[in-house]
Formats: sequence, structure tokens, C-alpha cells
Amino acid sequence: MTVKRITEILTLAVFLLVIFGFSIAFLLFPDREFSEQENRSLRTFPEFTLEKLASGRFAEEINDYFADQFPLRDPLVGVKGVAEIAMGKGENDGVLLGRDGYLAKRRFAMLCRDGRILPDMDAFDEAHVRDAARAIKRVSDGTELPFSIFLTGRTVDVAAAKLSYPSTYSDALLTLLREELGGVEGYIDSVPLYREKLEAGEEVYYRTDHHWTTLGAYYAYAEILRSFGMEEEILPANAFERVTVSDAFYGTSWSAGGMKFVSPDAIELWLLGDEELYEVVADGRVLDGFYSYRYLEEKDQYSLFLDGTHDVVTVKRRDGVERPTLVLFKDSFANSVAPFLARHFDLVLLNLSSVRTDYTDLTAYCEEYSADYALLIYTLENVVTTSKMNGLR
Amino acid sequence: MVFSSLLFLFAYLPITLLCYYAVPRRWRNLVLFAVSLVFYGWGEPVYILLMMLSVTSAYFFGFFIERYRTSAPKKAKWMMILSVAVSLSFLFFFKYYNFFAENLSRLPLIEIPRIEALALPIGISFYTFQIISYTVDLYRRDCELQRNYITFGTYVTLFPQLIAGPIVRYRDVDEQLQTRRETVSDFAAGVARLTVGLCKKILVGDLLAAGSEYFRHLALLENTALGAWMTIILYTGHLYYDFSGYSDMAIGLGRMLGFRFPENFNYPYISKSITEFWRRWHISLSTWFREYVYIPLGGNRRGRMRQYLNLAVVWLLTGFWHGASWNFVLWGIYFLVILILEKAFLLKVLDKTPAVLRHIYAMLLVTLGFLIFSYPDLTTAKDCFLSLFGVGCVGATSAVATYEVLRILPLILLAAVGATPIPKKLFAALREKWKPAELFVPLLTAAGLLLCMAYLVDSTFSPFAYLNF
Repeated sequence: MTVKRITEILTLAVFLLVIFGFSIAFLLFPDREFSEQENRSLRTFPEFTLEKLASGRFAEEINDYFADQFPLRDPLVGVKGVAEIAMGKGENDGVLLGRDGYLAKRRFAMLCRDGRILPDMDAFDEAHVRDAARAIKRVSDGTELPFSIFLTGRTVDVAAAKLSYPSTYSDALLTLLREELGGVEGYIDSVPLYREKLEAGEEVYYRTDHHWTTLGAYYAYAEILRSFGMEEEILPANAFERVTVSDAFYGTSWSAGGMKFVSPDAIELWLLGDEELYEVVADGRVLDGFYSYRYLEEKDQYSLFLDGTHDVVTVKRRDGVERPTLVLFKDSFANSVAPFLARHFDLVLLNLSSVRTDYTDLTAYCEEYSADYALLIYTLENVVTTSKMNGLR
Repeated sequence: MVFSSLLFLFAYLPITLLCYYAVPRRWRNLVLFAVSLVFYGWGEPVYILLMMLSVTSAYFFGFFIERYRTSAPKKAKWMMILSVAVSLSFLFFFKYYNFFAENLSRLPLIEIPRIEALALPIGISFYTFQIISYTVDLYRRDCELQRNYITFGTYVTLFPQLIAGPIVRYRDVDEQLQTRRETVSDFAAGVARLTVGLCKKILVGDLLAAGSEYFRHLALLENTALGAWMTIILYTGHLYYDFSGYSDMAIGLGRMLGFRFPENFNYPYISKSITEFWRRWHISLSTWFREYVYIPLGGNRRGRMRQYLNLAVVWLLTGFWHGASWNFVLWGIYFLVILILEKAFLLKVLDKTPAVLRHIYAMLLVTLGFLIFSYPDLTTAKDCFLSLFGVGCVGATSAVATYEVLRILPLILLAAVGATPIPKKLFAALREKWKPAELFVPLLTAAGLLLCMAYLVDSTFSPFAYLNF
């Protein structure tokens, strides 16, 4: 047999093996409903209707079904991630790969003031963000309570030192917010602080998740107390015992980026030993405490803090000692700060991203929960991509 | 259905190949006909009837043309014209009705309502042209009557070239339709070709398209000259990789089934003039227009002015064929003017120019042509054009634009080299020197398929970020 003949037969064999191998495997493998690695539901076999067939929607859904249930999907997604990085692209699926394995989501669905949504944008709509900032300012001006505003940076904002990606848009966003909120009492211009810490080598944000680490949450806590004029009461960092409860945390950026070679994060808890003293109630259910350890068995380990997503979470002391009430309007970043704040306040956490209840009427909810202090913790990503802040009252 | 989808590669193709090779030879056209209808109906369940109507009409008109073509040539001619008119009327109605309704309504006293529900049937421009080639060739006695409906149906609906060409003339495949031999050699060559096409489309074309799209969006935020250039350069690259990749897949699939389709692209981006470019780009369409419009009109045999007029007809039609929109008409006129200038004197000037400059000249004009091609809205096209020279820009570049260019530079360089015959020549030279290099073919095929699968699987990859809670 000549080399040419061998080549032909091998080419044929490779091809048949691939297309028949994968199609048979596809038939044999059971469908998965959920992808742990990607943290999302997978498309299952679409329901067939003649209408859907005629409109071509059935064809689309079948396509998604194929991609989602394809054999070896996870490794194949990883192959693509490696290929993109090998091509020198420095990112995959809109997630930047920074130095030391920092993953930062770069592209967001940009919401414009006129209601348009531009997908996959780096930037933000100036008019929309300005409106949001002004709404925050109005609330702040209108309240008698001590009110602090903590807009948390995205990884792309705070990890600028780790990225080759220019910080043009981050800087512009921060400048705009400073213009609008700089003079407002209680506004905490936090991003520069986190940038500094990260540059100095402190891991204040997770590398593979969009949230801050417990260290990052501690700095937020200190800033918040300072803004309430309670500087002397800040518990020093060395008062806590730091316990690493996970060294296999694969966060949202890891899921989104498909760069499976990036090593996982560790999760630290900062304990004082008095954790038993606090009663944490989430949507009417008493939790085990600040930390729901069962999430360590799952992929979404950040949900360990305050049991993940709930509409209303309250924290009180079990011994009946009453402290001033802090009403905290927030998204998930606040969950890891709450245990620190709970040492000084009775807490009411209201989830601004709730799909069931709209908590944007800050004034009314402060009254309802007899707030002594109010706090807003909200991430810049949500400021840019949603209109929640614009509706604050 | 598109070739570059998991559904096609891992459901449709295995089933098709199984059925095709499992049945005896005389049944194979029937299998092809059936699977091709499934292929078409998958994306266009309703318009499948339209296509069959077009096929059936041409099939029956064929008998009349055949009957009269010796005894009553005049009648045969009328039958031919009628048949072509029927096919074209479908094309006209579905592709151009709304365009004409809209534009004629702008004239005083004319009010033609638009039909909103009218969607363009996939591939109608391609299969209509194939059908016409049969009718005209039959009339001209360049081919024989096809009495077998299945065979004729197979010719028109053959899934590899059904929805995006190459436009195969009937006489080119007439014999293959009845007596073709499938061999291991052809199948293996087809596999390699299909893989090349998949890689061109998925690994390069789609990524260039995403890049172009990104810069197009970026221009809304900060318009830069670099961004405008990148938008059209990446778009130009995308068009080649997408379209020639598709043709490669069609030709490869055809070979796996024992067909030899004509080539559709011949490294168009190494051209040194626009005349040369159009000999290398979408060859089957240019050939079609030459055969069935330009030459029947008299071509270049009736004096220079008549030749220019004929060219004008061809290029207006070529532009219009690409889409029912003014920018395509303008695009056709753009090339018409350049081609006439080249014929008149430019080619002679170019002959004396260094090759590098000729390449730059050709690619610059091609790229600018695709600028017109890519913007249905002429105002936006004009803005983009002005941006190339910095008009209306915030600057030559911006930090983000520069970052983005540097990031995809390796891809651009790879794409640029891949659009030339260099890789092919290098591999041929290697094979010449060292026979076992041949064995890279199955290895590269495996690697290429794997990478394409990885990119396809990731295309619906939009993980749910739980940030909003």
C-alpha cells in the first residue's frame, strides 16, 4: 500500500470515527439538566409543535439542545478556552485573563437611558449612569438618617493592575460617579482603595468570581463604619481567626470564561468565636448562622454567606441585647460584609435584585423597619446594566 | 440547516451517509433528493413548496423545449422564455417585491402596499439560477432533456450546493447525476475539503465577523479611524472565509457523494486588479452571468460602446442579485466603473506598476467595495467611509481600540496568510521532499474537526451569572 492510500484510509477512518462516534455517544448519554461547571440549566429536548417547526424556532431550539447536551461538552469548552488563549487573545467569551489568574468579565449588556440594551459592550451609557447617581443623591439628600453609599467595583474596575486591558471606561465611570456623588455625605469612593490593595498584592477580590473576598469585605466594613463616624469601634483584623473553609471555589468568571486551566480560589471565614450569639433569619426561616456550610458541597460556594439569595434577611442577638438598626439595601456583595456589621448593629438586609418585591423605595422601608442607619451596597455592574438605581426613592 | 452546526455534522450527515451508501446505486439519487428536501425544509418548511413548484415547472417546460427545438425553434424559444420567466417571477416576487413597492410608492400617484410577511426563501437566488441554466442549456442544445423527475429534482435540490452555491450548471453535472462512481479516494479528499471549509468558517470567519461587529459597536461609543478600518478589513476577511469556507464544504460534501463541483474561489485576495479579482471571487456566479447574460447580449463582439452597455447590465444585475437594496445596486455600479476604467486604460498602467502597489490597489478597492456591501443604509456607509480618514472621529485610535487590535492581530495575520496559496504550496513542497508528510492529512483533519467542535459547542455557551440576586 502506498503512503497515499494509507493516508486516504486513515482520513476516512478519522472522519467516520468522529461523526459516528459522537452521534452514537450523543444517543447513549443521558441528558443533563444542569451544568455544575457553568452554573446554569441546560437545554433539554424541545417540545415539538407544528407552529414551532414552521417558524423555524424548533430548529433553533434543537441546535441549542445539541450544543448543550453534546458529549464531552465540558472538556470541549475547555479546549476552546485554551485555543483562544493560545492565539494570544488574552480573553475568552468576554472574560479577561489577567496576571496571577485573575479573571475579569469585560463585556456587559449596556442599558441606555432610552431603554435600548446593547449586548457585549465594554462601556456604559453616560446619561443612564448619571440618572442613577442623581437618584441616589436625591435619596441621600432627603433622609435624616446616617446613610452610606457603597458602590462596589467590578473585577475589571478594581483589578486594573492585573489586566492588560485599558482602564479607560472604568476610569470614566468612576470620574462620572465622583462628579455626581463626590460631595454627598456618606458616599464611599471605594474603587481606588481596592485598586491599591490589589496592586499591593492583597487578594481583596476572588480571582475566579466577581465578588470580593472576605478580606475585601472586611475593608468594606471598616470603610462603612468610618463613614458612620464609628472609627474607634472597628474591630482590628487581627482580632479574627481566619479559617480557610474551601480551596476549590470556582466562581462565576471561571464559569463564564471557559478557561478551565485557571486554578480555583480559596474561601476564608473570619471568626470571632461569638458566632452562636446571632440569630439569622432569611425570609422567615432561621438559618444555622452566618454561614451555610452545605454550599461548600456545591459549585456556587459564595452562597455560603447568609445562605445565598433571599429577599429579607435579619440578624439580631439571641441574648436580647438591642443595638441600633441598620437597614441595608443590597445585592450579593453585602452577604459577606453582613457578619462584620452584625457585631455593631441589628441588621435588616433587603435584596434590591429581588424578583418578587421591589425594595427601591428606601425611605418607606427605612421607616417600616425603624432604621437608625441606612446603607446601600450595590455593584457597578448592576448600575450599568439595570435601571434599579434610577428608580430609588 | 447550515453545515457548520452540530446538528448537521452529528445527526444529519451520519444519517445521510448511512442511507446513501446502504442503498444500491440506482436508488441513490432518490435518497439524495429526499434528504435534500429534509435539509431545506428544516429551516424553510413552508418555502419548500415554492422550490418544488419551480423545479416541477422547469421539468415540464423541458419536455416542450425538447419537442420543438428541432421542428419549431421559435416555439422552443418561447417555451424557454416562458420557463425562465416562471422561475424568475418567483425570485422577483419573493426577493424584490417589497423593494419595488417601497421605491415606486415614493413616486407621485403610485401607491403599492408592502407585504410584511414576505420573507426571503433561503437559497432562492441560487437554485433559480441553476434551474435557468438547465432550461437555457437545453434550448441551446448544450445538454439533453432530463426525463427523470428524481434526477432533475436531485440536481436542483442537492443539499451541498442548495443554499449558497457554487451555482452548478446542469451540463457540468449532467453525467455525474446518472453515472458517478464513489471511491475511497474521493471520499477522503472530500473529508479533507469539508474540514478545511469548516475550519475556515468556524475558526477564522466567525471570529473575524465578531471582531468586525465589535468595532462597529465601538464606533457608537468612540469613533476612531483605526476602528473604522478594522471594521471593514475584518468584514472583508470574514466574507472570504465565510463564503469560500462554505464553498469548500459544499465541494467536499459533493465529493463524498461522488460529485465534482466546479471551484468557486481561487485566492481572490491575491489579485492585482479588480478584473483579476472577479475572475477569482465567486467564480460560479460570474460564469453564470457571462454565459447567460453577457454573451447572449453580444459580449465584446459588437464594439466597445456595446460592450460597456453589456457590462453595465451584468453589473447592475450582479449587484441586485446580492440583495434587494440600493447599496447592492451601488456596489454593482462601483465595480462596473472600476472594471470599465481598467479595460479602458488602467490595466495598461497597472502592468507597469510594481506588484506590491498593484496588490494594495486591488485590495483597497475590494475593501472599500465591501464597505458599501456591508451597510444597507447609505448614510451609515458614508459616515464609516469618512471615518476612515478621521472625519467625525475622536482620534486616530483609542486605548480600547488599540488593545482590541493587538489582541486579534495574530488571528488577522493567520487569516491573511491563509488567504494566499502559501500554506498549500509549503505543504506540497514538504510532501515532495518527504513522503510521510502525507500522513499529516488525517492528523490535521482530526485536529481541525476537534477544534471546530469545541467552538461549535461553546457557541451557546452563555452561563448564567447569578449576580443579579
